[in-house]
Amino acid sequence: MNNIKIKSKNLNVYYGDKQALFDVNLDLNEKEVTALIGPSGCGKSTFIRCINRMNDVIDICKVTGNIEMDGMNINDKDLDVVSLRERVGMVFQKPNPFPKSIYDNISYGPKIHGKGETKSELDQIVENSLKKSALWEEVKDRLDEPGTSLSGGQQQRLCIARAISVNPEVILMDEPCSALDPIATAKIEELIDELKKTYTIVIVTHSMAQAVRVSQKTGFFHLGKLIEVGKTEKIFKNPDNKMTQDYITGRFG
Amino acid sequence: MLKEQSKNIEKSMTKEERLKKRHRAEKRFRFYGLTSILVALLFVVILVQNIFSKGSSAFKKTVITTEIFFDQELLEIKNGASEEDIMEADFYDLMIENLIKAYPAKDRDEEDELLKLFSGDAEIEIKKAFLKDNNLIGKIITLDLTASDDIDQLHKGNYPRDLPEERRRISDFQLVIYDYFVENKKISKNFNNYFFNNGDSRDPELAGIGGALVGSFYSILICLLLAFPVAVLASIYLEEFAPKNKITDFIEININNLAAVPSIVYGLLALQILLATIQLPRSTPLVAGITLALMTLPRIIIPCRASLKAVPPSIREGALAVGASKFQSVFHHVVPLALPGTLSGTIIGLAQALGETAPLILIGMVAFVVDIPSSPVDPSSSLPVQVYLWSESAERGFVEKTSATIMMLLSFLIVMNFIAVYLRQKFEKRWN
Repeated sequence: MNNIKIKSKNLNVYYGDKQALFDVNLDLNEKEVTALIGPSGCGKSTFIRCINRMNDVIDICKVTGNIEMDGMNINDKDLDVVSLRERVGMVFQKPNPFPKSIYDNISYGPKIHGKGETKSELDQIVENSLKKSALWEEVKDRLDEPGTSLSGGQQQRLCIARAISVNPEVILMDEPCSALDPIATAKIEELIDELKKTYTIVIVTHSMAQAVRVSQKTGFFHLGKLIEVGKTEKIFKNPDNKMTQDYITGRFG
Repeated sequence: MLKEQSKNIEKSMTKEERLKKRHRAEKRFRFYGLTSILVALLFVVILVQNIFSKGSSAFKKTVITTEIFFDQELLEIKNGASEEDIMEADFYDLMIENLIKAYPAKDRDEEDELLKLFSGDAEIEIKKAFLKDNNLIGKIITLDLTASDDIDQLHKGNYPRDLPEERRRISDFQLVIYDYFVENKKISKNFNNYFFNNGDSRDPELAGIGGALVGSFYSILICLLLAFPVAVLASIYLEEFAPKNKITDFIEININNLAAVPSIVYGLLALQILLATIQLPRSTPLVAGITLALMTLPRIIIPCRASLKAVPPSIREGALAVGASKFQSVFHHVVPLALPGTLSGTIIGLAQALGETAPLILIGMVAFVVDIPSSPVDPSSSLPVQVYLWSESAERGFVEKTSATIMMLLSFLIVMNFIAVYLRQKFEKRWN
């Protein structure tokens, strides 16, 4: 059993008057893939956006409760979100490379954090990140081309490379394959399998099969509540909760 | 059963009819659209044709080729005289003596009529020739002297010579001289350098848009320097940093309202605050620039904000997620992407300011200014105001000058708009 990397305690999230998360208590293990499943609007994305404080962008969003990473309270008002996001990277539902070159897409993060002082160090970071995201072979001869010229799957792997370029500890993935075809999806899943050796990964997914394939732990959300969490095998074979059972067998959602 | 069937048939009939009706409506709409485009184009063609036919002749001026003998006795200066001496020397008698030789006149009256065929600047033109070469004493040269407005218009065919003499500004005798000049090829049309180099003048043949050009240039420059940074920073703050609450809503509504305020109101504001209270110099490009900047500000902020808004939020999120601060995500990613739209919005705002007349009239730019301004605090005219001034003048020569000035103004506007479109198309990034 791995160490607990992130621990949420009684986490509540409100969008204005509407409460989106109710007392979520969820532990994420280090160097493991945790999948979050549940019907649309159940709060999975809201939960992972709490981990890197992306909810700060939304004016009306209010977060209460505790969420700790290695004992540090992420939800602390005085916390510097910039250094938090350096440690917690994120990949979005729709690939969103910057409209810049492939090289610039990846070197941007290290540059703003002062990593890679020299050109050769930066080159090294770019190469390593692209290799880790299994994109290097495909793009090594055209690093100057715009990131937006790649295919959807390649763009998503570019975004993963961008996330790992700053060497984070945790990578959050918000339905990373929902805009991709099955082949590109398979590649990303392989990649996730590889990445979990180095990083703690949280993935939100609508695909039950994907959760089974990539994750070791699964949490099921429904209407803002964490209904059940446990080892992926157990959740999908023998869930404790009737609702979980209904959802994974496709009776609702 | 039967009843039901007939009902069904009726239904299917109306369905077909409805379909036909829909197609007819679409055809009608296309026809209306096409017609309105054609009507609009027709008006543009009429406008442009009208301006060009009236204005194109202003770019040429009529000159009379005249022999000038630099008589030492009349000039009282020597070869190699210094520039100062030449400037002070009296060329008037020399001019008279030479010009009356252009045609054999019988008496004093005829000589006077002959002299009136030349512009009021003939003396200066002769002096300038001497300034260029100060060894001309005792020599004869041929000079192209600018003709008077009447001869200019007559030669360009804008003057009806078949009117009875008492209703003409040109006498029968002057027509005889003119015909003599034409026959001996002494009259021709040259490029009108006065139109571009001179300031305003009471004599149409000497009047130019040089002063107005410089005045407009200074005004727009000041307008750009004031309005652009303020507008860009205001839009970035409002769009990216300001909290969304009632105060920012109120500001937004007011910016939109200010963009719709009639420009003359800004003129009144400038009159009261800039001229009466702060006492800035009247009729100057400085005041014009500040006034135009006030007017242009909201007109730049609106397109700036629109182009910032057009940058997809995913770009901001992507930057934030790798740990960029808010400031970095805005200035490294959003602003560069919004820049083409921002610049083209600014250029279009400046183009509007360039054509603005009403506020400039209120701050005294309608003054008759002969000198070309050498700095933004010298009294000056501007292109649209020059159009306004000349359009009111009675002399025939100002008609073509007015249209030619409009042509200049329009070509500046077209160039500016072209740059705006080019910037937008060339540099705007497309995201999927």
